[in-house]
This record gives sequence, C-alpha cells and structure tokens, in this order.
Amino acid sequence: MGLGFAIGFIGVLILFHAAYSTIQYRTLLKITEEEFSGSPLNVVIELSLGLLLCTWAALTVPGKFLCILPHSEENRILLLSEPFIYDEVGRQPQADHTYVNDLLKS
Amino acid sequence: MAVQSGSGSSEKKSSNGENELLTFNAENMQSNMKIIYYSRTFLSIIGGVVAGILGFTGLKGFVFYSLLMAFTSLGLIAKAKFSIHTYFDSWNRVLIDGFLSGLMSFVLFWTFAYDIAHIF
Repeated sequence: MGLGFAIGFIGVLILFHAAYSTIQYRTLLKITEEEFSGSPLNVVIELSLGLLLCTWAALTVPGKFLCILPHSEENRILLLSEPFIYDEVGRQPQADHTYVNDLLKS
Repeated sequence: MAVQSGSGSSEKKSSNGENELLTFNAENMQSNMKIIYYSRTFLSIIGGVVAGILGFTGLKGFVFYSLLMAFTSLGLIAKAKFSIHTYFDSWNRVLIDGFLSGLMSFVLFWTFAYDIAHIF
C-alpha cells in the first residue's frame, strides 16, 4: 500500500509538472500571437505517464477484493478458528464440530 | 433471511429467474463496492485534470471520460482476475456502477484544470 501511495504521488507530481509546462507554452503562444492548436509532444507523453501511474495507484491502493462466496476457503477458516461459540441462551455447545456442522447444514 | 456466522458477517439470499437460491457474503460485497467507488472517483478526478490540461472542449472531453471509464473497468476486471462472480453478484457492478457519479467529479476538475492551464 505504501508503494501504491508513492506511485500515485509521483503520478500527481508529473501531472502538476505537465500543467506548469502547458502554462509556459501558452504564455509563449501569447507572446508570438499564435493560436493554441494542441499540447506539445513532451506534455502529452508526461500526461500519459502520469495517468498510467495514477491508474495503477487507483487500482492497488483501495485494497484487495474479498471473496463473497459463502463456502470459500477464507470464510471456512474463519468459522473454524473460533473454538468457544455460545448459542442464544449463553450455553457453550457440547462439541465444537456440532455447531459447525449445524451451520453448514443450514 | 440473514444467517449469523461466527465472524459476525451476514449472508444474504438472492434468487434468479429459475428460483435457485444463491448466498453471498454481504459484508465482503460492500467492501468490494467501496473499492470500485474509490477507484472510479479518483480516476475521474485525475482524468478531469488531464482533459483540462490537454485543452479538450465539448464532446471530446466526454469521449475521453468514456474511454477512461472503459479502461478503468478493464483494470477492475483484471484486478478481479477475470472471475467476476467470485467477488461480485453481477457484471454490472464492475462495468457500469460509478459511471455517473464519477462524471460530476470529472467535469468539475476538467473545468478547473482548463481554467488554470489555458485561461488564467
């Protein structure tokens, strides 16, 4: 996650630099009294690179997808890792495997 | 009908046309939806800045946004390792959800970046 943040930060910095370059280019165009017909190639390359880095950060930083299937490995391990499970009245069941079997049957 | 498991997460039952009952972990589903929302919102903002700096106006900007969201959907599908039904209940979650909410952020930052780079 730290790496994702760093890459996202670098991507944003590149975008800021591209914005600064564009502002300078526009100032130059105003001096030479030319019209803006498109960004220079280096700005386009910088923006593409910044966008790529930010895309990578956007896909990795928020976290991993979690499995939603009820009988997947992760959920099963979670169920079996709790040895002391009480029912509604607060009584401990006689054996752990009974509770788990009942859960799996329902 | 909700069933309590040991971890405290709830399961939901949903039915399709053939009356088959499918259960899924709603808590994990919500977490996955949040991830999609954050990813799309952040990329909409970045896309708006890029469109503004490039000087896009009118329809060009919206076409750029559509392409960006399509690319994002592809990235999300790759992140889910191309097995969508393991992490979501339908393809619409990955392909369409968040498209319109990101559009507002895109337009805001597109206008902002265009003004800074080309007008002021």
